[in-house]
Amino acid sequence: MSKHRSGDFFERILGGPVLWTGLAIMTLFAMGPFLWAFSASLKTRAELYATPITYIPALPTFQNYVEAWTSRLTPFSRFFANSLWVSSVTMVATIVISTSAGYALARFRFVGKNTLMLVFLATQMFPAVLLIAPLLSQWYALGLIDTYQALIYSNFSFTVPFTVWMLVGYFESIPRELEESAMIDGSSRFGAMLRIVVPLAAPGIAATAIFAFVSSWSELLFATTFTSSTEMRTLSAGLLYMAGQYEVQWGQLSAGVMISTVPVAILFTFLQKHLIKGLTAGAMKG
Amino acid sequence: MPARRALISRGTRETFANYAYLLPAAVCLGGTVLFPILKAIHMSLYRNVLSRPQDYRFIGLGNYLRMIQDPTFWLTLKNSFVWVVCSVSMQFVLGFLGALLLNAKFKGRAFCRTLNLLPWIIPGVVVGLMWEYLYQPNYGPINDILRQVGLLRVPIAWLSEPNLAMASVIFTNIWRGIPFFTIMILAGLQAIPDKVYEAAKVDGASVTQRFWHVTLPLLRPIIIVATATRIIWTFNYADLIFVMTNGGPANATQITSSYTLLSAYTDLDFGYAATLSVVLLGIMLTFTAFYLKITKGVESVSE
Repeated sequence: MSKHRSGDFFERILGGPVLWTGLAIMTLFAMGPFLWAFSASLKTRAELYATPITYIPALPTFQNYVEAWTSRLTPFSRFFANSLWVSSVTMVATIVISTSAGYALARFRFVGKNTLMLVFLATQMFPAVLLIAPLLSQWYALGLIDTYQALIYSNFSFTVPFTVWMLVGYFESIPRELEESAMIDGSSRFGAMLRIVVPLAAPGIAATAIFAFVSSWSELLFATTFTSSTEMRTLSAGLLYMAGQYEVQWGQLSAGVMISTVPVAILFTFLQKHLIKGLTAGAMKG
Repeated sequence: MPARRALISRGTRETFANYAYLLPAAVCLGGTVLFPILKAIHMSLYRNVLSRPQDYRFIGLGNYLRMIQDPTFWLTLKNSFVWVVCSVSMQFVLGFLGALLLNAKFKGRAFCRTLNLLPWIIPGVVVGLMWEYLYQPNYGPINDILRQVGLLRVPIAWLSEPNLAMASVIFTNIWRGIPFFTIMILAGLQAIPDKVYEAAKVDGASVTQRFWHVTLPLLRPIIIVATATRIIWTFNYADLIFVMTNGGPANATQITSSYTLLSAYTDLDFGYAATLSVVLLGIMLTFTAFYLKITKGVESVSE
């Protein structure tokens, strides 16, 4: 009995002060770097390099954002547009390709289907650096260096295997009877897939779409290797280029950091539930 | 007779149609993964330094022999080991704690969860540059805070001090990877029905007993999968190091995957870079095979 009571006391402490302190420390640790970057992005040049350093900008200004956005040397407006275009096209194309392949793997019998699934899984484990040199010579031979296509095609190497793997799980969870009855009513297999299965799997498809978008948005190595002119850089490549330019402009760089972060943060907030479900479902299946 | 022929041809047609669904994905992966891998293996058999095209020739396993004799390669393997073990173990412990905290029911939990997941979804280059600024010796806040609490007199150059650089990039990588484990373990925790805890409570199990004897065993499958995925991913991940230190100072933070990038970008030695990447692939495939064997074991246990 006394043991039970001490357990309850322990629980109350754990549920109260310990929980709140833990949450506060954890959240501060996770958010601290963002708060610093945000604060720095609003500082004037004089304040950025003043000692002692300040944590809250004395004269907050959006000057760094304006300069980064319109800069001729590192035009973030252009980088942003490039990232948006490359990530959007990668996302749409990935979804079309993976929906079709995921559906086939979930519904049809194939010779070597399990091997194929294993290949999709194993591909996710491949080091990205493995593809850099051969893809570079491949895009060079095809005259695709410094084009959006080179980046979009290269992104498929990591978006397609993962999304196929995730979508197979979603499609398998949808009962076959629904599309079979539609096919008896005269619909073709493809029509049944588009009208019945795809709408039902919409949350899963949306989650995989966000995954494809966010991972293309973050991609760095392909974007730096397969582009050479400033106008073709994505945000990731542009940020790296800016950091390596001359004496680092921390104010503009922090503004660039915020510009690169906000879109994925917003997307993630809206879709985190589905994304988490999809990720863990994929992982739980192993 | 004609009816049977129609039947066969319809079956064949269907098989072809079924394969057509896979065709786009097959073309994509063939062109961006499988063919490049074969190409990398091919490249690894040649002396191929871009700045010395006159030396281009077949050298068989020459690059591999050179790798075995290359002390830097062995150093990078050792660094990779430190990088993976320290990053993943700390990410796991802190991510687990985070999941336990976020599993409690309180107001604003969804918002709190979103804030805590942010480090994981932002681009790697953003993480690297943000932390480079935090570590900056003169204008960075880390030195400033340490000085204000009296732990530091002289500013420390975290990323250019050979003894500290690795610990500093690992710390950043831990910050970045905690949310991954938080997400995975949180999902696992929420899949455990309340009834199980109540039953344990009725039996008189304390909080800690419930954790060790109920929570942990039920989470075992997801822990194994999450850890294995993370190990592979961390081993391959070169972005942070590429951005923050480029392997320096004096290869102190050079892991095998960043060394591969260095060989390609700085030395322009594509033959050697390809060799290193093929070896990386070999290590990862071995690990993956091992991991698949383990997870199969997990599945049969959990079913």
